[in-house]
Amino acid sequence: MLKKEINDLLTQTGPGTPMGDMFRQYWIPALLAEELPENDCAPVRVKLLSERLIAFRDSEGRYGLMDEFCAHRGVSLWFGRNEEGGLRCSYHGWKYDVTGQAVEIPSEPDERHSALCAKIKLKSYPMVKIGDVLWTYMGDPAKTPDLPQWEFARVPSEQSFTSKRWQECNWLQALEGGIDSSHVSWLHSDGLKSDPLFKGAEGNKYNLADRKPFFEVVESDGGLMIGVRRNAEEGHYYWRITPWVMPSFTMIPPRGDHPIHGHFWIPIDDENCWVFTYDYHPTRPLTETEVQHMKDGKGVHNEFVPGTYRPLQNKDNDYMMDREAQKRGDTYSGVKGISMQDASLQESMGPIVDRAKERLVSTDSGIIMARRKLWRAVEELRDNGVTPPGVDVTHQAVRSAAVVLPADQAFIEGCAEALRVRPGEKHASV
Amino acid sequence: MSVHNPTLLSSCALAATAAEARFRITVPEFTRRSSRVIALDARAAALVKDLGGRSWNGGHFLVFESAVPDDALLRHAGTGGTALLSEELEGADTVVMIASASANAEAASIIGDAAAARAIMSAGLVLPDAAAGGDVVSALRPNAMVLVVLRDTADVPEVLSALRV
Repeated sequence: MLKKEINDLLTQTGPGTPMGDMFRQYWIPALLAEELPENDCAPVRVKLLSERLIAFRDSEGRYGLMDEFCAHRGVSLWFGRNEEGGLRCSYHGWKYDVTGQAVEIPSEPDERHSALCAKIKLKSYPMVKIGDVLWTYMGDPAKTPDLPQWEFARVPSEQSFTSKRWQECNWLQALEGGIDSSHVSWLHSDGLKSDPLFKGAEGNKYNLADRKPFFEVVESDGGLMIGVRRNAEEGHYYWRITPWVMPSFTMIPPRGDHPIHGHFWIPIDDENCWVFTYDYHPTRPLTETEVQHMKDGKGVHNEFVPGTYRPLQNKDNDYMMDREAQKRGDTYSGVKGISMQDASLQESMGPIVDRAKERLVSTDSGIIMARRKLWRAVEELRDNGVTPPGVDVTHQAVRSAAVVLPADQAFIEGCAEALRVRPGEKHASV
Repeated sequence: MSVHNPTLLSSCALAATAAEARFRITVPEFTRRSSRVIALDARAAALVKDLGGRSWNGGHFLVFESAVPDDALLRHAGTGGTALLSEELEGADTVVMIASASANAEAASIIGDAAAARAIMSAGLVLPDAAAGGDVVSALRPNAMVLVVLRDTADVPEVLSALRV
């Protein structure tokens, strides 16, 4: 249960809102690098944190992310021409470089040209390519943090794969699905047996044998570590540990030698978000088969409406609900695929769920604590200027883990090393 | 895949809109939750006594006093009166144990077992104490469906509030 004013505080991320200010403390995923594949390629419209932006890659390979609309008459620069070191508005030819600085105003007399240009600059944000992702920082330039160090983005490119999809609801209810470990035994119960990116792991037998797991939530420097334990061999527990790093990064515990995967939830506006979904292996290239499975929407990825980042299964086609498959037990909810099983239910809550009406139980403690930490960090930033957790790159050096531990051992101690990035070392997984 | 129907009033495309949220039933027929918040040691008891003086949704705030044969003696944080654990668990649907470093495993075990036997949801909140947190967690782990290890005591009322104690 969350009071309306706190729900509003956590779900509104536009300019000038407290949570919006907090998101603007971080480098966040803005686009996939594939969206700007070459110099002078077509610009891309992108909305982030309720700001309409245009992204482009200039003739020298520099990335730009700036106000979508021309300073002259408010025309969308999506219709512009990306050429000769800048993006030119197709209405009257005004041209901007990657910083948003006007560099040409052809209609003006030459002698006034440079003076006028110097006074016209669109709001812009830095954008850098790290891994498969283009990252941006939308906060105060004077407080630009260190570049992101997430392991999935820093391993060699052949070891990582990232996709993104549009989710039609507020970012927080999507994120909460990522730290709600108790739904996995139900909604995703089909995936362990059939999905090529999950099946075959030794640890799966514990999941399938014990459908009433216990939970342990431990605060970390960057957010939370959420441990889920199930019975294993005598005197031992099977632990699956999910890190959540503020504001919206999660990593799903691995299965066997399969790649590790997880998500970033990034607000588009208050009623939509981007879900960036990564898969990576710390020590080996992904196989062609694995990458093909990811492109085919297996694991935690999904299929797309061709030519878009909208899921093929979406609210307009009732997520391709298949009641026969549900009856047969092929899927638990009738919706195919883990990501769309989650998205379909999260979107069904409405664009922004009213958390004053919910009835949380003890197994929702991860969600309760995540909200509490977000709430506290937002207030600390707003009232005292305290940098929130997750900005410090050391907080980003986390891994998930799936391990068997003695029954009397706390996972946070038994997995202290396993939950940290160890370059060149394999992830802890059974 | 089944045949897909055109978008109708009951389809997801319309049903999940903000406009349709206006028509959700706003008076849920939920019975009020009946929670027991039990301190397992002196430090937790001080917190529970403080919390017990605030406004809640009917939750009882208690302190574990001692084990008695097949039961435990609890003390009400507000009134100071005593009650048996078995009496307090009558009609309860949630038990939240609060513990600090000096919590004893026996108290957690008695309460956890009693809650489990009655199919009552149980949770444990471990107060900040980095030096001994592991021991407390070990004592509580077998006896609570959920354990939360806190870094800030101020989070306790927020967690309880979220659970509608």
